[in-house]
Amino acid sequence: MELLRPDSAEAAAAALGNGSVALAGGTELVPLLRDGIVRAEKLVELRDVVPRGVDGTRIGAGTTLAELEVDPDIPQALREACSLAASPQLRSMSTLGGNLLQATRCWYWRLNFPCYLHGGDTCHAKAGQHREHAIFGNERCASAHPSDPAAALLALGARLRTTSREFSLVDLYRLPTDEERNVTALEPGEVILELDVPRPEASVYLKAMERRKWSFAIVGVAAARFADSIRLGLAGVAPIPWALSSVADLEQATPLLGTAYKVQIARALVRRAVEAVSAPAGA
Amino acid sequence: MVVELTINGNAYELEAPVGRTLAEVLRLDLGLTGTKIACGEGHCGACTVQLDGVPVLSCITLVHTVGDREVTTIEGLREHPLVEAFVEADATQCGFCTPGQIVTASALLAANASPSDDEIRHAMAGNLCRCGTYPKIERAIHTVAGDGGGS
Amino acid sequence: MARLIKTEKEVEGRYSEQWVVVEEDALEQWPEGPLRTVGRPATRVDGLARARGEARYTQDIQLPGMLHAAVLRSPHARARVKQIDLTPASELAGVRGAVGPGELDVLTDEPNYEGEAVAAVVADTADHARAALEEISIEWEVLEPLLDVDQALARESFLSDPKLYERGDIERGFAEADVVVEAEYRTQSVLHNALETHQTICEWEGETVNVYTSTQWLWGVRDEVAAAFDLPKDKVRVICRFMGGGFGAKGSAGDYTMIAAELARRTGRPVHCRLDRREENVNSGNRNPTIQKLRLGARSDGILTALSADYVCLLGWDGWLPPTAGPVQMLYACDNVRTVEYGVRLNSPPMDAFRAPGFVEGTFGLECALDELAAKLDLDPLELRRRNHADHDPLDERPFSGKQLMECYRRAEPHWERRHEVHARADGPWKHGVGIATQLWYGGGGPPSYAWVRLAGDGTATVLTAMQDIGTGTRTAMAQIAAEELGLPVERVTVELGDTAHGPYAVVSGGSSTTPSMGPAVRAAAGDVARQIREIAAQRFDVEERVLSLAEGKVINADGGSWLLEEITGLLEDGQILGKGARGPNPAGMRVMTYGIQVAEVAVDVETGEVVVERIYAVHDIGRVINPLGAESQIEGGIIQAIGHSLSEQRLLDPRSGKVLTRTLDAYKLPTIADVPEIVSELVDVPDAHLTNLGSKGLGEPPIVPTAAAIANAIRDATGADVRSLPITREEMLGALHEADERRRVPERVGAAPA
Repeated sequence: MELLRPDSAEAAAAALGNGSVALAGGTELVPLLRDGIVRAEKLVELRDVVPRGVDGTRIGAGTTLAELEVDPDIPQALREACSLAASPQLRSMSTLGGNLLQATRCWYWRLNFPCYLHGGDTCHAKAGQHREHAIFGNERCASAHPSDPAAALLALGARLRTTSREFSLVDLYRLPTDEERNVTALEPGEVILELDVPRPEASVYLKAMERRKWSFAIVGVAAARFADSIRLGLAGVAPIPWALSSVADLEQATPLLGTAYKVQIARALVRRAVEAVSAPAGA
Repeated sequence: MVVELTINGNAYELEAPVGRTLAEVLRLDLGLTGTKIACGEGHCGACTVQLDGVPVLSCITLVHTVGDREVTTIEGLREHPLVEAFVEADATQCGFCTPGQIVTASALLAANASPSDDEIRHAMAGNLCRCGTYPKIERAIHTVAGDGGGS
Repeated sequence: MARLIKTEKEVEGRYSEQWVVVEEDALEQWPEGPLRTVGRPATRVDGLARARGEARYTQDIQLPGMLHAAVLRSPHARARVKQIDLTPASELAGVRGAVGPGELDVLTDEPNYEGEAVAAVVADTADHARAALEEISIEWEVLEPLLDVDQALARESFLSDPKLYERGDIERGFAEADVVVEAEYRTQSVLHNALETHQTICEWEGETVNVYTSTQWLWGVRDEVAAAFDLPKDKVRVICRFMGGGFGAKGSAGDYTMIAAELARRTGRPVHCRLDRREENVNSGNRNPTIQKLRLGARSDGILTALSADYVCLLGWDGWLPPTAGPVQMLYACDNVRTVEYGVRLNSPPMDAFRAPGFVEGTFGLECALDELAAKLDLDPLELRRRNHADHDPLDERPFSGKQLMECYRRAEPHWERRHEVHARADGPWKHGVGIATQLWYGGGGPPSYAWVRLAGDGTATVLTAMQDIGTGTRTAMAQIAAEELGLPVERVTVELGDTAHGPYAVVSGGSSTTPSMGPAVRAAAGDVARQIREIAAQRFDVEERVLSLAEGKVINADGGSWLLEEITGLLEDGQILGKGARGPNPAGMRVMTYGIQVAEVAVDVETGEVVVERIYAVHDIGRVINPLGAESQIEGGIIQAIGHSLSEQRLLDPRSGKVLTRTLDAYKLPTIADVPEIVSELVDVPDAHLTNLGSKGLGEPPIVPTAAAIANAIRDATGADVRSLPITREEMLGALHEADERRRVPERVGAAPA
């Protein structure tokens, strides 16, 4: 393997593809390289070329989750999502951009079963162990997307700026299809540089976990209120971060036998999150 | 590919292939075996070292990405008051996770001289201890913080 | 004088009769209560070495020229190797050897569980070895694994014959009952996850093999390696000075040791074979799942009339039947008991001992069922336990050597009484409750176990015994015991352990047996030295031996006056005073057990199923406490592990392939520091008057035994929901709440269930 240290984001983007893989915090990539799930001839180091830090509503994609969890200037939902994500060391290492691009924790995927997401034709989780899996968008693949910040940013209506374009975070994700198993829509040779995160009147992130810290979401619920409208983003419930337009959307859930309990948890957390961000009565 | 590192104030230069982790270099190339490998994939915290004072997982840190950041391992913290405090509080059982615990705890105390119970739990949650020394670790950290032991 | 006796030996509830030569335990027990050193808190003698990262664990040892092995493990739960060719791997640069099925007993070409060892390669680096595994050419015939327990029962796929136990007349017992409860309980497979994985380095020196290994039993490894390589036993030297945790899974040599030994023999170089975390969680043992059908009958005054229990233990491909029925058979006085235990053989990885194997699982079912019975009887659960206290061993009427369980109950009372204020904490969806559960476990230790003590001219003592300190603090306890007997400060005692070439035979560190087995031997050895000092001093200073005693580093004359110890030992210059000691027999005709009770306080969010353990009170009776500080740590550690198996830990297998899905520590959820409740603990600390010169039992296992049941009982107290399956995950909790709601909607018929 080779390590490239480009001197600009554009140079980094240009170096990607053809066996070259972007390396930021490394918390996701390094283990996947060792497992042979990702193969790379060259690693393109982004640390010095992707913006880092918070400037108004703009957040550099190279900012670490540890930096964000203590930043008073970002919306509460994002701060809480970062604070509840992963472990302290992982938060110190991992960047916001990398976090958005992380893969599922589905054990079948991580153990390299020839599953739908790996290009196969079956979802092993559906007929197997799937207690941590999806309740939405799970027709072909029942994996759950683990990103807490993505749920928060979805509720906050964040937009991304990459080396080639600007677009809404919603459009970064897509459910896997027979044609395209990758759940993120980043082009080869495209690097996330920055996020624009609107300031809500109120926002919150609630997370149900298996243990009190250092656990991926069973269900994570972000709510953000802008004027009279409340937007919701969920983690751990679908192969991609999942937006809900209202509590009632939960009735559309398609849980598996072993994930029905998640609907009940989501119902409680969504109700609590909505209450938490709702304008005080009479205000 | 040549790597230059500053570890516990000492400069090192060595040859390592891209893909080699900081933990492998510390333990195998430099004999700094105080840093432990328990999971090797970033889940347990036993391999924690500091880069410029920030606790990171050396088992998933590629050594070539360390750059000019100063590496601090348990060997550089042997005289830290936490070491004595861990012994006094009986915060070592098998002791395999202990160096990593102390590396993380010392970064916490550097950033927050008098952490609350909640702050300790938040900062230490990535260092797993299977023997269950956690209550004693809290006690040891409080002792060094000089606040007599939490709520 | 040496005495040959036939004694009953117990390890983790497995009894065997064997001949042992024991020496008379000439020493009287010390008086009750804290002494000069024993019974007082001591920091670990090896704490600094561990905390400073200086302690060398097996993983840290790098021998000159050392090679690294990697093991090809079966990716299939059941398969046959049709063809295997190691050559492509052997021919790679950096590879120094390979071994396959038929060449070593631990390698198979017909694996019966995922992870069973098939072949191994050895190379200059671990990376080379792992890469070489990929090059082994292998063709599999994949076979249908047996994974379903119902199918296994139908086929009678058992590892050993079902174990039936009966006393009294169970039918009559139920006929006499006013109230009967019947329920099914389930416990999961739990993974040990010691932070140092299983590993061994082997190095041959002529006809001797040095085995550096992370083990709970040096001597067991010695015997296994000697047998496998047809060597005289003492040609195998086993070394483990610092050990990174075991919890039961490191009691035998393991395939990795045999592979390292064979590849070291072939290459003539030291070979390190280390399991990685994933191999560890597939292949190094597990607590076996159980399905428990319990039926309890009691009179209206709470006296138990019948206990019936069927246990299906899912052992995997190999292992042994742990004493799951032990608590039902032994915890309470009940005349009519019937238990059946089935050890089911499946194509899943073999179980191994895990901290109080059997009793952890069996106590969960029994102690939960007992609370369900208390509810039906409308009787206080603590009072129910008191009324059924066993004054002697219900198995065979033997007296207990020492039993302070009623005292434990008495001390727990105020903590149990907190439930009224705890209930009042209820707030919105959060409900609060308190639960109790009793603990019973072995922990008496036994012979054979030996120690030597050597006192040097400078008045410092060294304890030599080839035992292990697996992190429990036994090194420190032994130093305290020797220091006490020699009248020395603990700083003047060094304990050398962990090397079969440097000390006599010692017991396995399992079954809570290290301190109760080794402690008396160490005391006897120190006593032998103390006797010699008195004899020498008597001659040197022309006084009577009987007026001399040892304290504070001095020999003290009862008539007043004293001499520094060095004034006597210094006479010898570099000469040494050598003492030896052996563990005496266990008291004949008595049952030696440990006891306790824990009180759990929990909070349950009834909308999301979140369970938070807020407080655990623990009181245990383990006889005399050697080191209260280390003991407190043992209690906390046991409780924290129990919180793991109560709430978040479970090994999941893919139901079709039999592969372990939760093999990484993100998926397999050990408790973190944030999951720890307030823990308040105490020990009764009354020496067991009949047990050895110490009166001490082991504490490694007792604290993990009752916690899960106490938590489940607290959850019932908080919510009315019966959680009968571990772990109590959110789906389990929400499901139990749902059932409780249904029950409330359809009220049970008035009156007790038919007997």
